[in-house]
Amino acid sequence: MDVLTTAAESLLTGNFMALLGAAVAALAGIGSAIGVGIAGEAAAGVTAEDPSKFGQALLLQALPGTQGIYGLLIAFLIMNKVGLIGGSGMLELTLLQGALIFTSALPIGITGTLSAVAQGKTAAAGIMMIGKRPEEIAKGMVYAAMVETYAVLALLASFLMLNGITL
Amino acid sequence: MAIAKMKKLTLIGLSREKEALIKELMSLGVVQISEQDARLSDESWSNVVRKDDAETASVKWETELERVDNALKLIDRFGDSKKPLISERKAIQTQEFEDALVKEYEIRRDVLKLTRLSRKLAHVLLAENRANIARMSLLPWKEYDIPAEQFATKATRVWQGVVPAGNDSADFLRILADKTQYTDAEVVHTDSEQHYISILFLAEELDAVQAALRDLGFNRIALPMAEGAVGEALAELEQELADIDAQKEDLIGKIRELKDCEPKLKLYHDELVMRRDCAAIRDKFLVTDSTFYLDGWFPRIAEDKLKALLTRYTCHFETADPEQDEQPPVLLLNGKLAEPFEAVTKLYSFPDYWGIDATAFFALPYALFFGMMLSDAAYGLLLMGITYFVKKKFTLEGMMKQLIDMFFFCGVFTLFWGLMFGSFFGDLITVVSSTFFGRTVNFPTLWFNPVEEPMTLLIFSYALGLLHILLAMGLGGYMSIRDGQPLDALFDVGFWYMLIIGLLLFMGAGMVPALPAGAPLFGKWMAIAGTLGIICTAGRHNKGITRITGGFTSLYDITGYLSDVLSYSRLLALGLATGVISSVFNTLGALGGPTLTGVILMIIAFSIGHPYNFAINALGSFVHSCRLQYVEFFGKFYQSGGVGFAPFCENTKYFKIIKEEQ
Repeated sequence: MDVLTTAAESLLTGNFMALLGAAVAALAGIGSAIGVGIAGEAAAGVTAEDPSKFGQALLLQALPGTQGIYGLLIAFLIMNKVGLIGGSGMLELTLLQGALIFTSALPIGITGTLSAVAQGKTAAAGIMMIGKRPEEIAKGMVYAAMVETYAVLALLASFLMLNGITL
Repeated sequence: MAIAKMKKLTLIGLSREKEALIKELMSLGVVQISEQDARLSDESWSNVVRKDDAETASVKWETELERVDNALKLIDRFGDSKKPLISERKAIQTQEFEDALVKEYEIRRDVLKLTRLSRKLAHVLLAENRANIARMSLLPWKEYDIPAEQFATKATRVWQGVVPAGNDSADFLRILADKTQYTDAEVVHTDSEQHYISILFLAEELDAVQAALRDLGFNRIALPMAEGAVGEALAELEQELADIDAQKEDLIGKIRELKDCEPKLKLYHDELVMRRDCAAIRDKFLVTDSTFYLDGWFPRIAEDKLKALLTRYTCHFETADPEQDEQPPVLLLNGKLAEPFEAVTKLYSFPDYWGIDATAFFALPYALFFGMMLSDAAYGLLLMGITYFVKKKFTLEGMMKQLIDMFFFCGVFTLFWGLMFGSFFGDLITVVSSTFFGRTVNFPTLWFNPVEEPMTLLIFSYALGLLHILLAMGLGGYMSIRDGQPLDALFDVGFWYMLIIGLLLFMGAGMVPALPAGAPLFGKWMAIAGTLGIICTAGRHNKGITRITGGFTSLYDITGYLSDVLSYSRLLALGLATGVISSVFNTLGALGGPTLTGVILMIIAFSIGHPYNFAINALGSFVHSCRLQYVEFFGKFYQSGGVGFAPFCENTKYFKIIKEEQ
């Protein structure tokens, strides 16, 4: 029991929490991977019927990929903020500071992951649509962009929170 | 600057001039000829006229066209010429076009040659396929030496067949021997899927053998050969395949010899397309024995030219403005700067003819928003460079040309915002100078850095969004006034303007010192007046009690306007994404420090990271800028549902025919 307590105490530091935050933000990549995967399956199906639709399908497939980028963006900003990259070594953070940073990563970490999956499904439907009506690709893109709005808002929330934390 | 005014053409002409008139109409290319099916169901018409016969003539050209298409495909397949990235129509003078077709018979002869070659090639390929299949099925039996003549003698039979590789072949032989008297079975070959087995047995024992084999899962196959042993048959097949190969090479060589006639074939192709279209358009004509009737739409700007053409013929024609209940096709006419953005309108949907073409109104916001989201000076230059190069290299037309031009303008605004926000490949210049040269050089920032002052940019984005939305509402109001409903404009737009602008003044005027002190109070009363106006009028189309409650419920729309404005926060978020991802790659590249490895690392990070970032963010900017137009902007006023103007014209594929007189 003592060992666990000591381990918990030594781990539960501001720096650990901050890095945990960066990690959670980057997890949005899971959602993007799933989303791009779902869209990719549909794209392969449509391209099998008509190989000339490759380019159009690829455009739609790329859309759910942005959440991973947003996650990376916040992860990078966190690492930058705590001096892990580009600075002269990691700062010593209090537990509260670390916890705040961790919290700021939650919006993009969670919303990013889930919205990317949802967007992947929408993009897949859009790809099915261009299978029948290639001229309507813009509409498929806009449907997917409707989902992305919420990832953008989450990114904004994460960014503004992180930006407001003073170390 | 809007939707082109259309006029209706009704024409009755003499049949003997029909062909010539059709040709000239096609060459002028300004009339969209309407279907006449509705007229024919009207008895007063169908008693006098009948549908023209288009079928006989057009089928002939259609068949010939198919042949030319196939010939071109054949050359394309074997002619080893590179396919261009973007297909374009070459400009050609009418005279040159006609001269090239003087020796049409020669081109036809080449088409015929190619058609024959194509047919021969198809035969050869079929034979090759058949030989290959036979060879594949014989290969496992390579070692089998019983000739085909001996498969059935007076007293014996020899059967060949397979059992799945999962079965034990030794078991098979043993069980077969147990169940029958005089059989001799042999496993000829075994691969990962099957055992290939030959069985020799007495003809009189056929039934017993058959029963035993059925139980053993034996699957009889017929070897594809008539005589001799397998080895001989295989050798013959090899020989046949070699012959086929030689024939194929010979045919392909002959096709290659003909590849120089490709340009002429393309000319002929386009000529055939025009002949076919001239024939097929007669489907939309009504005829009597010596006259014909047609009607259709043309843009008013082309009226003089059209009249000049028609007066040269013995025909009677009338032109008229469209009635309110008619739906003419939609042709967008915009100035040089706005025209490329028609692509965005078309990607959404053509506006209703009686609606409004918003292209000119959203062109600037579109480019502005795109630029803010990509917001990198270098990316802007890159986008301008790429689009400029494509435009120089290829002669583009239609939608493609509009998109490329549009992206050029978007590139200009990307450059603009990049300079404002001080971003050139992100912070590349800062990173490179401090890593490799030991002193920090910053790319100038003309306004501010959004990563450091995100709130400023957020509020700026909302302000732009608000203006964009107010513009959209204003267009809605304009449409109401134009349609003679000025009260609708006041009720649906004016009151909302009062409410929104009043609220802004009330809450925000205190922060702007330049405004007079009474502004917040003025704003308050303006908002209240607007609110009362909305409550009193918004339910006016409803019946019963909802006439009163409708006003209150429509006040709830304020949340819609709020969320519309908040939606513009993507301008900040996507702008940040470009900048921060750029700096991620720059930072990665700088990890190696000021060494040779560091330089190489930098080059790698740059040449992978920035193209990727550019591509993904340009796509994002395009999509989200479209979304802001389609959802936030169009949602307020746009009436879609028009059908694009598709005139009867020279719909050629390879050449664009230039008329001398123009």
